[in-house]
Amino acid sequence: MKVEFLEPQSLQDAVAMAKAKGVGARFVAGGTDLVIQMRKTGVLPEAIINLQRLRALGEIKHDADGFSLGALVTHRQIESEDRFLGGLQALRESACVIGGHQVRNVATLGGNLCNASPAADMVPILLCFNADVTLVGSSGSRNIPLAAFIEGPRKTQRAHDEVMTDIRFPKPAGKFASAFLKGGRRRAMEISIVAMAGVVSMSAGGTMTDVRLAMGAAGPKAIRLAQAEKFLEGKVPSKAVLEEAGKLAAAAASPIDDVRASASFRRHLVGVYARRVIELGWNRISEAGNDRSAA
Amino acid sequence: MNSPFRVIGKSFARLDARGKVSGKAVYGTDFAMQGMLHGKLIQSPIASGEILSIDIERAMAMPGVYAVVTAKDIPAQRYGSFVKDMEVFASQRVNFVGQPVAAVVARTVEEAEEAVRAVDIKYKELPGVFTTEEAIQAGAPLVHPAWQEYKAVPTVKRDGNVTNYARLVLGDVEKALKESDRVFTHRFVTNVVHPGYTEPRAAIAHWDDSNQLVVWSNTQLPFEAQATLAEIFKLTPSQVRVNLTVIGGGFGGKLRLGVEHYAAAAALKAGRPVKFVSSCEEEMTSALPRQPLTIELTTGVTNDGKILAKEASILVDTGATSGSGVGVASSVMLMLAGPYKIPNLRLESRSVYTNKTPTGSFRAPAGPQGNFAVESQMDIIADALNIDPLELRLRNIVREGDLAPNGQKLESVSLETCLLKAADAIGWKDRKPARGRGKGIACAWWTTTSGSSGVYVKLGPDGRVFLNTGCAEIGTAALTGAAQVLAEALGVELADIQIVSGDTASTPFDFGAQGSRTAFAVGNACLDAVTKLQQRMKEIAAKQFSAKPEDIEITTGGVKHGDKTLSLREIAAVAQASQGGLIAHGTFIAPPTLHDKERTENMVITAINSPSFHAHAVDLSVDEETGEIKIHDYVVVQDVGRAINPKYIEGQIEGGVVQGIGQALSEEIVYENGIVRNPGLTDYKMPTAMDAPNIRSFLIESPSKVGPYGAKGVGEPPVIHPPATIANAIAAAVSARVQTLPITAEKIVRTLAEVSTKAT
Ligand SMILES: Cc1cc2nc3c(=O)[nH]c(=O)nc-3n(C[C@H](O)[C@H](O)[C@H](O)COP(=O)(O)OP(=O)(O)OC[C@H]3O[C@@H](n4cnc5c(N)ncnc54)[C@H](O)[C@@H]3O)c2cc1C
Repeated sequence: MKVEFLEPQSLQDAVAMAKAKGVGARFVAGGTDLVIQMRKTGVLPEAIINLQRLRALGEIKHDADGFSLGALVTHRQIESEDRFLGGLQALRESACVIGGHQVRNVATLGGNLCNASPAADMVPILLCFNADVTLVGSSGSRNIPLAAFIEGPRKTQRAHDEVMTDIRFPKPAGKFASAFLKGGRRRAMEISIVAMAGVVSMSAGGTMTDVRLAMGAAGPKAIRLAQAEKFLEGKVPSKAVLEEAGKLAAAAASPIDDVRASASFRRHLVGVYARRVIELGWNRISEAGNDRSAA
Repeated sequence: MNSPFRVIGKSFARLDARGKVSGKAVYGTDFAMQGMLHGKLIQSPIASGEILSIDIERAMAMPGVYAVVTAKDIPAQRYGSFVKDMEVFASQRVNFVGQPVAAVVARTVEEAEEAVRAVDIKYKELPGVFTTEEAIQAGAPLVHPAWQEYKAVPTVKRDGNVTNYARLVLGDVEKALKESDRVFTHRFVTNVVHPGYTEPRAAIAHWDDSNQLVVWSNTQLPFEAQATLAEIFKLTPSQVRVNLTVIGGGFGGKLRLGVEHYAAAAALKAGRPVKFVSSCEEEMTSALPRQPLTIELTTGVTNDGKILAKEASILVDTGATSGSGVGVASSVMLMLAGPYKIPNLRLESRSVYTNKTPTGSFRAPAGPQGNFAVESQMDIIADALNIDPLELRLRNIVREGDLAPNGQKLESVSLETCLLKAADAIGWKDRKPARGRGKGIACAWWTTTSGSSGVYVKLGPDGRVFLNTGCAEIGTAALTGAAQVLAEALGVELADIQIVSGDTASTPFDFGAQGSRTAFAVGNACLDAVTKLQQRMKEIAAKQFSAKPEDIEITTGGVKHGDKTLSLREIAAVAQASQGGLIAHGTFIAPPTLHDKERTENMVITAINSPSFHAHAVDLSVDEETGEIKIHDYVVVQDVGRAINPKYIEGQIEGGVVQGIGQALSEEIVYENGIVRNPGLTDYKMPTAMDAPNIRSFLIESPSKVGPYGAKGVGEPPVIHPPATIANAIAAAVSARVQTLPITAEKIVRTLAEVSTKAT
């Protein structure tokens, strides 16, 4: 079977090609999800539309409002981005545990989000930062919150001719820190059995505020842990408080049993990691004293 | 230190380094022939059943397809190591998911894959057995209902799904257990692990104009491949020529036929050369992984820690064919007695069929499984008796002149040195330095496999030396080790030697790259060749100098007589001009290891040849909440007899430890009703570079009588101890004892929860 390989030079071309080829066409960025799926299922798309020439989508930008990451930004770029030190460091922490070096050199952020695996490692932290994604298709451009964009395992709101162009998020205000932890059997080349991201800010009174917690791989899609967040608001992270937050997080998980781990172990880890992510974030604010992330 | 050697003991770069580093080496998967076609297997989707029909019509009409091969196309011939229970393609029954039923031959791999889906095979599913416990029940479905018709070696005692029932017996166990102060019984279960070679199994076969079968493959054993292919295709061995490609790792997984037989059958039918390369999924579902064992071990001791008796009942799950599992079931008993002096033994083992992937001879077959049981239990006993685990071992280990469980007399026993050194290096005195941190130790012995080796050592016209061997270089650098032996003895530099290997038609026979024997046996054959070559050199020189051969002196790089000298190059020139060059056939066969035959019943492996001794120790932390393990330090002390090339021995040690850590912590082929749930490298988790700890190797040189310059086998042992060593350290760190492999984070957390429930 022959697969047509198309190389649009502009975003408009990419959209037009996708529209012309219909649902049988697929975009490719790094190909680290797409090619594996092609090989595994033996089902080939009629056409592959390579986005790699759209170099404008490969940049990380920021302004006073926040950050914008092009969909073609690779995990390597994110893990080595100086602006993601300090308060934003969980972005680097999430990116640097994806696959191995070879994968991170080519795999993109856009691919990670569009592929919508429940275990996609970049999703939890971007949910914490309230990221929006921009989609450009034949009927124009639109912005959707990431939380709404991903609907379930491998299901998104993206229409087949829409290209994801960028991912934006506002920078949290004040003194804040972030953290990311991932559970799996190995230290690399590992699909998360649980992923947990957190962002926490310190109020003038020295309590936690604007707490954000998101978990991946413990349900059909990555989600924010609203109850745990609400519970933590305004508290100091004592042992008992963290314990309770962990319980709330675990209660929100709906993990599956599979060859990687049992549902009950995943749920247990959700509790542990929720607690640890908050604790780690809090320690980081206290240690840093101020926010070193670029502004 | 002043070494008496020029070449031995030095860490020279391996002779095949350049090709491998530059990418010029031609591996099996690289190899191609003019007019070559590609083959793909069609594998059974069910674990147990009958083949009702095979319809190839639609596939044959597909583009690029040349042939579809089935059992009908080759002689109905079963083959196998101990029991002849294997067939190339399933003829009537299928016995495991993934069993090859047919193969498609096409112009491209893609066309072959496409056509595989078009072959219509109908099956009638039958009940299967998936655990050894089920398989040995009376009335259990038989994996091979026709087992009685299969030929087998006379030693084995078979019955239905049991392919051998063997025992190792000494003294009076019943009485000794009664007299013991404490008796401990535990059950240990080990995992199915893949040898994890980097290059999949690959072969190209071609039938030449004289109807000789010519095969290029990345097999570890060209001569066994030759013999087995001859058996399958009803040829004489000399009608089969096996050529080696460069090999991307073997670890025992490439000892038996891989895809050579499929390629041969396909090439026969298609009339063109055909290439087969295993896919990753085929590797995980139908290669030859390590047997999982269930071991019930009972040990009787006195209060001061003297072992009085051991009793064991072992089930070896060999999968759908018996393969090397019969051997594993024997050698595991030699491992289970441990390197300990035990006056009373009653060990019994059964190798058993199940409807799962046939298993093979993965590096140190039986080693890690047996060691995990015996060395885990040693620590449990030590704890119960309140004796330090190292001390308990020292009170029971074998020493110089002691008898092994099979009655063989042990020589060059260095075990105490190994244990003490390992304990010292890991800082044993502080065995539980902090909460969640602990140290573990384990020790073992291992064999150096016998079998004969032949080499031709030829003097090139320029004085270069060709080492022509039928033994494969599977990546260990063991042939560089053999070349170092040759260089040392012949008085040349390592760089003067060129290795020629792997063509059954032109190399002398070799029992092959297996069982830690390559440098040992090929090295010894080189020594024999040197003796013969030097005799011939003396004769040539004697003629030139008008002297007597016995008055000629061998020097580094030539010979001399008084002040007259001849270099190797000059000798070569004379030899070429006068007597068709100079070549010597060196041979070696290890002397038999004498032991007490009264003690072994139906065992197919009965001795530990030129035993090596070793101890491992580890320092690790356990995260009690997540079960995650962090290894801080890993120490290996291994008696290698003589370190021929220390760097590559360290390479074997580090690689073996990492492979062993995989078996200990993360690797497992997981089955559900005979179906592999993780048939790929996404979920079959070999350690990555990020998971490999710092490993420190200490080489002990307690020379063997048989090995070249005192060497002992070194390749397999490092993979034996990691499961037990790590299990012991985990137990020291967090008082959770996991008795099934792999020791996953999840199992640790579950065990800790059980321990704390019991405590409250
Ligand atoms: C060995 C290995 C290890 C891995 N480890 C991890 C891991 O640890 N954590 C993890 O989260 N993931 C992991 N992955 C998965 C994968 O690498 C990531 O999800 C990666 O970010 C996907 O990006 P890509 O550019 O390769 O996507 P591609 O494969 O190119 O695309 C993925 C999907 O998204 C679509 N797509 C891509 N870009 C766009 C766009 N701009 N607009 C619209 N649609 C688009 C494609 O059509 C396709 O359906 C691993 C993969 C491999 C092979």
